[in-house]
Amino acid sequence: MTKWFRENLWRHITGTVMCLFALFPLYLVLLSAFNESGSLQVTSFLPREISFANFDVLFNDERIPYLTWMKNSLIISGFVAVASVVIGAASAFAFSRLKFQGKKFGIQLLLLIQMFPAILALSALYVIMERVYKFAPGLGIGTQMGLVLVYLGGAMGVNIWLLKGFVDSIPAELDEAAKIDGASAMQTYWQIFVPLAAPVLAVVSLLSFIGTFNEFILARLFLIEVESRTVAVGLQQFIGGQYSENWGPFAAGSIIASIPIVIIFLSLQKYIISGLTAGSVKG
Amino acid sequence: MLIRGKVATTIKVAIVALISALLLTLTQSAFAKKEYVIAAFLAIAIFAINFTYFSKRTVPLKFFLPGILLLSAFVITPILYTVVMSTYNYKTGNYIGKEEAIGRIKALALEPDENNSAFDIVVGKFQESEAILVSDIENKAYFISTSERRFELLSDQVELDENFVAQRVNGFTPLDASEIASSKAATVRYFYNKQYFITVENLNVGAVFRQSLEYLPDQDIFKSLINDSIYRDNGNGNYVNPDDKSDFLEPGWRDPAWFTNYVRLVSDERVRDPLISVFIWTVVFATLTVLTQFSFGLLLALALNKPIRGRRIYRSILVLPYAMPSVMSILIWGGMFNTEFGAVNEILGSDIAWFQDPTFARFAVILVNLWLGFPYFYLVSSGSLQAIPSELLEAAAIDGANPRQVFSKVTLPLLLQILSPLLIASFAFNFNNFNLIYLLTGGGPREQLDGEIAGSTDILISYTYQIAFGSNLQDLGLASAISVLIFFLVASISLYGVRKSKVLESFT
Repeated sequence: MTKWFRENLWRHITGTVMCLFALFPLYLVLLSAFNESGSLQVTSFLPREISFANFDVLFNDERIPYLTWMKNSLIISGFVAVASVVIGAASAFAFSRLKFQGKKFGIQLLLLIQMFPAILALSALYVIMERVYKFAPGLGIGTQMGLVLVYLGGAMGVNIWLLKGFVDSIPAELDEAAKIDGASAMQTYWQIFVPLAAPVLAVVSLLSFIGTFNEFILARLFLIEVESRTVAVGLQQFIGGQYSENWGPFAAGSIIASIPIVIIFLSLQKYIISGLTAGSVKG
Repeated sequence: MLIRGKVATTIKVAIVALISALLLTLTQSAFAKKEYVIAAFLAIAIFAINFTYFSKRTVPLKFFLPGILLLSAFVITPILYTVVMSTYNYKTGNYIGKEEAIGRIKALALEPDENNSAFDIVVGKFQESEAILVSDIENKAYFISTSERRFELLSDQVELDENFVAQRVNGFTPLDASEIASSKAATVRYFYNKQYFITVENLNVGAVFRQSLEYLPDQDIFKSLINDSIYRDNGNGNYVNPDDKSDFLEPGWRDPAWFTNYVRLVSDERVRDPLISVFIWTVVFATLTVLTQFSFGLLLALALNKPIRGRRIYRSILVLPYAMPSVMSILIWGGMFNTEFGAVNEILGSDIAWFQDPTFARFAVILVNLWLGFPYFYLVSSGSLQAIPSELLEAAAIDGANPRQVFSKVTLPLLLQILSPLLIASFAFNFNNFNLIYLLTGGGPREQLDGEIAGSTDILISYTYQIAFGSNLQDLGLASAISVLIFFLVASISLYGVRKSKVLESFT
């Protein structure tokens, strides 16, 4: 008994304390989402009643187009997730497998570029897209299309770099054999590389989805109209306005918005952690 | 499975043609709006696309052209543009091009007459041109004025309302608000007398002005038409009176300032002092973050490194903070730290204004970041703990080391070596952790003294954002210069990290 105590007690204490720390804000959000009082307060540790008033506000109040925000977020993130991987995978394949002039320089440039945080070029992006708006109002500042293009550009550096690592790990003998059999580079790509890399491509695209869903500042700068906002920007602006009284609906909204991300994350945990050990950090 | 032969070629031609047509339309409209650089970029893109996909010799390009185009348009160009902007005097008051600035100065150079005369007016059309029907009630005078001349009216010719304002006269057609907005009627200068003209102030009021400044293009100066003072291009984006340096014309324009913005970082104490204190806090913040996240993560990894009961439950709860979208978590924490309604004060039974006091605000930032990040280090540390060969630990124990010594002399050094690239990457990431600062404290608390905008929790990147977009005086030139500086800092940290992991790879 004493041995067990000495060996294991501190382990359970550490585990429990840290679990409480991890759960505390989450539990609080859950509590206020189902509570009518609408602030992030501990009225009691166990809910006295379960009220759906906050969800009602969220879905039916005209001032909060929550469902539109959610739809915007899912469409923008989904599109970026798919398109950035389709485009990025082809580039990664070229950088990993094909021989061409300036390849080494290209790779070094890529490494440098993907270190440059997009926020640093924020003012430049803003000015450029302001100019684009002048001649193409559908693409410039204030439009979701423009935001998607900027996201795609920003995703390239990281995605190509990440995917190149995966392509490098596919044995070169495979495509050499294909080459000997007379396959062109295009055929090698579509018939050998894409089927082999499909699971990896799926993982990278889901990571890209999480990253885009979580992106705040570009979306904040680009999406000016209330109806066009993503859920992150929408909710932030929503509680930015009046303080305490909006916390109930906010809590409800953030729970719903978090569910898809948490599910994706937990199901991909294994890949994400190995990807993280490869040196990339979730935003 | 694969589409081959003619069908594939047809699809390819169709897609390339469609994209080219789209880009061509954009090029045209960019050219029409005088955005020549963007037009040129689009033209090059069209050429590159067509060349690549219709030539047989460009196989690698076929693969990465779309990626390269996106990268150059939305990453490389903004980076280069940032560098260019950092050499310009580019801020509020100096935001537009020089030609545009000259136009605005001319339009704004208005001098009212000595009585500050203003009249009731009706905007409309007279003899096919824009005109206003003016009622000078004090003098019981009425006239119609176009840009060229005025037509006097007798009071019995006009239809007056109860305030003696002329509303109607034969031959004059009033315009309604939307017609005025869609025509130039509101911007015309209507004739008053030889020197003065009337401008439309709002739908019912016109005021009397004369031009006070004249632009002389051959000397590139503005000359006052009232006194004899002149305004010269000061080489820094403004027209300034050489006799009185504080007398300059607005607006200015963005002007090449070469290294002025960089020099200001070092020599202008109003820029330098906040920058240094923000930089110190950035380093302290990133270091403390990595230290706390890593030590709590490691402690957990050590505690749960043995198959104790409930380990799986602990583990699945502990990853939750990391699985949540961080934007949401940060906002939630922001609410919890609210002074009156927040749960933190309620539990502590305290009344702390967390985000109004620098020390408390900094503590809150670190605590929230610990919550966000410790699961990551827990996960990677437990992975790495398993990678340490158990023979090593056993050998140390046999040699008589107690558990504490085994940890500090064997486990920890090995772990640090394995994880150092991740620690560096995390440092670099937190160095630029904009979302946390912006969403939690907004960089504050800040003291609004003397235009000072650096807050106590501002890190370099949020301070830069504040300079570029946050305050009344938006200084894009200075913000860009700081951005370039941050880039060099972060790039060197990251390169150091990459080199470390390379070194590591060659060992394993």
